[in-house]
Amino acid sequence: MNTCQNKPVLKVEQVTKEYNHKNIIEGIDLYLNQGEFVTILGPSGCGKSTLFNVIAGLLTPETGKIFVNDAEVTGRTGIVSYMYQKDLLLPWRTVVDNGILPLEIRGIKKKEAREKVREMLPVFELESDGDKYPNQLSGGMKQRVSLLRTYMFSKEIMLLDEPFGGLDAITRLKMQEYLMAILKKIKGSVLFITHDIDEAIFLSDRIYVINGSPAHIVEEFKVPQKHKETQAALVSSELSQLRRDILKRL
Amino acid sequence: MRKYQNIVDRLIPIVFILAILILWQLVVDLGWVERYVLPSPMDIIKALVENWSEIMMHTGVTFFEGMVGLVVAISLSLLMAIAMDQYPMVKKAVYPVLVMSQTVPIIVIAPLLAMWFGFGIAPKIFVVVLVCFFPITVNLIEGLQSVDGELINLTRSMGASKRQIFTKIKFPSALPYFFSGLKIAVTYSIMGAVIGEWLGGKAGLGVYMLRARHAFALDLVFASILVIVILSIGLFYGIAMIQRALMPWERLKEEEG
Repeated sequence: MNTCQNKPVLKVEQVTKEYNHKNIIEGIDLYLNQGEFVTILGPSGCGKSTLFNVIAGLLTPETGKIFVNDAEVTGRTGIVSYMYQKDLLLPWRTVVDNGILPLEIRGIKKKEAREKVREMLPVFELESDGDKYPNQLSGGMKQRVSLLRTYMFSKEIMLLDEPFGGLDAITRLKMQEYLMAILKKIKGSVLFITHDIDEAIFLSDRIYVINGSPAHIVEEFKVPQKHKETQAALVSSELSQLRRDILKRL
Repeated sequence: MRKYQNIVDRLIPIVFILAILILWQLVVDLGWVERYVLPSPMDIIKALVENWSEIMMHTGVTFFEGMVGLVVAISLSLLMAIAMDQYPMVKKAVYPVLVMSQTVPIIVIAPLLAMWFGFGIAPKIFVVVLVCFFPITVNLIEGLQSVDGELINLTRSMGASKRQIFTKIKFPSALPYFFSGLKIAVTYSIMGAVIGEWLGGKAGLGVYMLRARHAFALDLVFASILVIVILSIGLFYGIAMIQRALMPWERLKEEEG
């Protein structure tokens, strides 16, 4: 996204979280600007999801603070939207009714909520699937619905925790391009978790590499935005240099 | 080819049951077993037809007791399962008692119930509740507790209250479990009522069977058993049909598989 304004919507300050008296993550500092796509890249099981749970307010950090639009929200839920690797769709609800879940929780009437979700179906390329049940959808389609539900909660700060991790390699590449296209339309700000370097480079404006035990941020990379229109750009010399630099820090 | 296989699959149990019935009929007709010891299937059908209105009157009583007991058991199970799910303390305290309640032999407890509640309808309903309550509660609590933790976290991250998580996520997730328990319970319900009646009362299939046995009218005993079996199977499939109607998404899964 070339149009990002330099106003941080999310700031994480010196966050440390322990589990069983052992620090999992330590001294995490990061920010996310409006409209930006930022990736947290690190090996599996290094504590990335713990960090997301802290940002989402599901866990309270031992030290450190979370700010959203300059207001402190540490340990508070219901502010940022969260998408998991598993689609976590409710099998008893249709696509539209899965989409209205966050609106229902906020107390919006079902009928009104359904209208809002139906309006968004074309944007998410789901216009002909609104009345289907999750059992009738492929893995990639399920993640589209999951993304729609995430968006219906909030597009201001979207936490995406390896959303394509459970998909096969080809579907995964398609979903990455799909995500880019959607984000151009909805102009959301995304904090993304992955352990896939190519995925990180292709999608992100900036990348935080997180590693070690306890996990901490080892380096921040800016991703040059030119020639990034397609997956093919990943072999350009500039980006492959970046790839080598990131690999050194993992 | 697959359709043909389907028909064959359905025919297998029917053919098997028919074979047993024919064998049974032959054993009696050929005089290997005396009629007053074991009536033949035809004798049983004849007895059923001849005493139809009387048997149906008793069936009505038993059915009523069974259904009232089942409804009470369902309500109690819902309350118990919700309490156990929301408050772990309650589960720790009550769960062992629940299991214990099932190890008490009903046949021993039933006469005591007659002592406590008399020979009216109450002790029969009590027996039904006692046998139906357990499978529903145990299945429901298992369903409520087997909901994906990430799904609950996701809903929490949206700011959902405990109550919203229960009504929107946990309870619908547990519905298939609830119906598994209900299908077991419903087949027990009629049996429970009959056991209750067996120990005394004014009407019901249990009472009727007891009288028939004292009169050595074994054909009537078997006719009553036949009614109990058909009624219980009917109730089982009735619940299965309600489940299919309430949960259309489950059917979609079957079609794919």
